Amino acid sequence: MTIKTASDRPTMIEFREVQKYYGDYHALRGISAEIRAGEFFSLLGPSGCGKTTLLRTIAGFEDISSGAVLIDGKDMSNVPANKRPTNMVFQSYAIFPHLTVAENVGFGLRRDPRSSAEKARAVEEALELVGLKGYGPRAAHAMSGGQRQRVALARALILKPKVLLLDEPMSALDKKIREQMQVELIKLQRELGITFVLVTHDQEEALVMSDRIAVMFDGEIAQLADPETLYRHPNSRRVANFIGVMNFLPARVTAESDSHVALEVPGLGPLEVTPDQVAAQTSGGEATVGFRPETLTLLYEGQTASDREAPGVIDEVVYYGDMTYYDIRLDGVSAPVRISMRNVFGRPVLDVGSRIRVAWSPGALVLFR
Amino acid sequence: MKSPGLRLFAFAYLIFLYAPIVLLPIFAFNSGTIIAFPLKGFTLHWFDQLFSNATLGQALRNSLIIAVSTAIFATTLGIFAARASTRYRFPGKPGIMGLIMLPLVLPEIIVAVSLLIVLLGIGVPLSIFTVILGHVLAATPYAIAVLNAAFSSLDKSLEEAAYDLGETKWSTFRLITLPLVLPGIVSSMLMAFTISLDEFIIAFFLAGEQVTLPTYIFSQLRFPKQIPMIMALGTCLVIASIVLLTIAEYARRRGIAKTGAKDTGGFL
Amino acid sequence: MSASPWKRLKQSEAFNGYVMVSPTLIYAILMLAAPLGMIVAYSFFKDGYLEVIHEFTFENYIQAWTDPIFQAILFRSVLVSMLVTLVTVVLAFPIAYFISFVVPAQKKSLWLFLITIPFWTSYLIRVFQWKVILNYNGVINSILTGLGIVDQPLQMLNSVGAITVTLAHAYAPFAILPIFVSLEKIDRSFLEAGRDLGESPFMTFWRVTLPLAMPGVVGAVMIVFIPTIGDYVTPELIGGGKLPMVANMIQQNMLKIDNKPLGSAIAVSSMLVVAVIALVFLFLNRRFLRGPK
Ligand SMILES: Nc1ncnc2c1ncn2[C@@H]1O[C@H](COP(=O)(O)OP(=O)(O)OP(=O)(O)O)[C@@H](O)[C@H]1O
Ligand SMILES: [Mg+2]
Repeated sequence: MTIKTASDRPTMIEFREVQKYYGDYHALRGISAEIRAGEFFSLLGPSGCGKTTLLRTIAGFEDISSGAVLIDGKDMSNVPANKRPTNMVFQSYAIFPHLTVAENVGFGLRRDPRSSAEKARAVEEALELVGLKGYGPRAAHAMSGGQRQRVALARALILKPKVLLLDEPMSALDKKIREQMQVELIKLQRELGITFVLVTHDQEEALVMSDRIAVMFDGEIAQLADPETLYRHPNSRRVANFIGVMNFLPARVTAESDSHVALEVPGLGPLEVTPDQVAAQTSGGEATVGFRPETLTLLYEGQTASDREAPGVIDEVVYYGDMTYYDIRLDGVSAPVRISMRNVFGRPVLDVGSRIRVAWSPGALVLFR
Repeated sequence: MKSPGLRLFAFAYLIFLYAPIVLLPIFAFNSGTIIAFPLKGFTLHWFDQLFSNATLGQALRNSLIIAVSTAIFATTLGIFAARASTRYRFPGKPGIMGLIMLPLVLPEIIVAVSLLIVLLGIGVPLSIFTVILGHVLAATPYAIAVLNAAFSSLDKSLEEAAYDLGETKWSTFRLITLPLVLPGIVSSMLMAFTISLDEFIIAFFLAGEQVTLPTYIFSQLRFPKQIPMIMALGTCLVIASIVLLTIAEYARRRGIAKTGAKDTGGFL
Repeated sequence: MSASPWKRLKQSEAFNGYVMVSPTLIYAILMLAAPLGMIVAYSFFKDGYLEVIHEFTFENYIQAWTDPIFQAILFRSVLVSMLVTLVTVVLAFPIAYFISFVVPAQKKSLWLFLITIPFWTSYLIRVFQWKVILNYNGVINSILTGLGIVDQPLQMLNSVGAITVTLAHAYAPFAILPIFVSLEKIDRSFLEAGRDLGESPFMTFWRVTLPLAMPGVVGAVMIVFIPTIGDYVTPELIGGGKLPMVANMIQQNMLKIDNKPLGSAIAVSSMLVVAVIALVFLFLNRRFLRGPK
């Protein structure tokens, strides 16, 4: 995957030290970030971390306690939600149940000076855009979940907002339709070139769809980066754990220079990493190395590693059809590490208790300090 | 069939509930002048007497004015309170709502007597208007109960969506909120109307020289000669309230069908 | 950049809530709280011949509470209210249970509709009908003598029993609905769990259903007990004026005798008695009312 966003695009949304209190509860703790024009941006984090709250400060539904939100260079402090150049797709879709599909989609055009024929055409175009051509006269409340989402999208897009806000739009859909809608949303965003800001707690969804992702914990942005950087170079163990699976082993720093850090890791032995493999987190204390399950390879009889090897015993086998996960106890380490192996025809799945060797490479490690 | 004992009890209970009402038309069409068995013969005389009764006409007019005003004012006040209680959090809310809902349990005589003292104290002459003041107070809690249900089943994001699409707070209320809670508003009005039409004590204390339907009925119950006519009147009232309730139930179901919501059962 | 204090206040949820509730609240204060305060004040005033003398005194309370007639009336009122509450709630519970647990879901609305219709017909006429039913030559006596079960008509009117039956009829839906609501809230899997753990149906009812339904029962008791004590019509029509309750006494003092301070003292006294009984009842049932609402 390549990085899709050119960093010279202008800024569309800017958060400046945004703080939000609900009574005594500190929901947003000084958010500063920029979202660029035309980018697909995601707010990712566990439940209650403040994603929705942050999204609603863009829409204008939530006034902030201090700081500022700027859209297209303008401070939004005194601009109410109905005057902002943003539109929202709600988690529940908020389809007006007493109106038809066409009336829902055309709702925002009520104050539009165009003739009713032109408005009807705009509605028809919007419906076509989301794949609901001809559904206009239907009762909105009789639509299925996926169709409702399309209606909500068309209704928000018809006003040609600068920013489209989506709050967990996929969470109410079942898996199949969800995956289909993800692809359609990406296409739609590329076609329209509008800035999309998506809230999700599903890391896979964020990785698949976004140009950049802000990972949030406890009202703060822990890391803001493109998907590949987030996956390869998480800046903390917490981010690493939230995005995919990562194995951790304790490490001891033996030597350090400008060009490399030398480590002693039980189970892996002595090794060196380059400074760009060191996570920016400087908490001091214990050092830890982390590595993704797919960066390790299980060696079968007769195979040799191109880089380095470590011996161990299989502790647990989880078979997934196309993949098998092995939990392996490396010699000299008590906690197992997880390895994922693509299943290849003719290669057997190994049993629990087998002694095996594992191939690994120091270049795939991340060092947390 | 499950629980035959309970079923039997339920039907016996229905007979207990309906006995007084079923007897109304029986005596309303009975030509005997005393209300007793055996029945004499069939007559429409009591209905004739009913429809040509001028005082009764006046009482009905007064009661309708009072009931319609009560329905409008109690529902309006109910909308404000139900909206506040379902949408906003504010300190002292339980106390405030408690005071507003108090007439639900307070004996009506207490409401009537205390209002009477104040009104006489500040020199407001007793009239239909003072009855309306009391009835609005008594009917508002019922309106709130009905409207609370309507407002709390309304998804907050519907209003936010309309606001987000460029409507003002007020036009959002008019285009989204109002149509969606309309069945609740209709129920609330019908309920307040019926409560007011039937309310006796407050009217008895606050109507002064004016006569309302219940105070007229009460005054006539002392005269055995008038009872058959009251039976005819009761029959008309029962029919009217069944028609009203059926309309209310129909409106409620229509509202549910129109918005595709789930039927959670109506009435209180 | 930061908003002014006034703007911040205007945007705060609490402020908007107060604004929203204010029309109704102001009405309730003017028409309910102030008059109730007034009646308390009056109960401490002196009764002049044609006017009320604004001079603090306990005289009215002393006069009321030492009056054997008031004592008897208050006692009767409390007794009747308790009887009515008992009868109403005991009869209502099986009905609520029947609608909630036996009646199929799509017929529940119809049953509730059937239960509420009588409530929407003229209260006065409904009360009067009980006179027709219980009269010396009324419905019941006609049937009983007609069938030869008794030879002399029974004297049923003008009794506490007649008043109780009439009021129990009048307040039936008030008792059924809260109990029904709390029964509906019971998670049916609790009951299955009870049965699954080897409880008999009766023990399941006793140990699971009833405690969970108690909030509704307590609500029903409150909503029946408090207003019945102030009922004016039934003692007048069914009791034949011979068995007055506090409401009749208040009306006497307020309108006929025109002794407003004494009437106020009687009203305040009886409300205090009701409040104390209600609070004691709530206190005795406090363990059922705790927990998430
Ligand atoms: N109106 C409110 N009043 C008080 N606290 C609130 C309010 N809205 C949100 N919160 C609190 O603020 C925190 C952040 O809420 P928010 O809805 O932004 O979370 P989220 O990240 O979107 O989580 P989820 O995935 O559950 O939707 C939560 O702990 C929530 O309880
Ligand atoms: Mg959320």
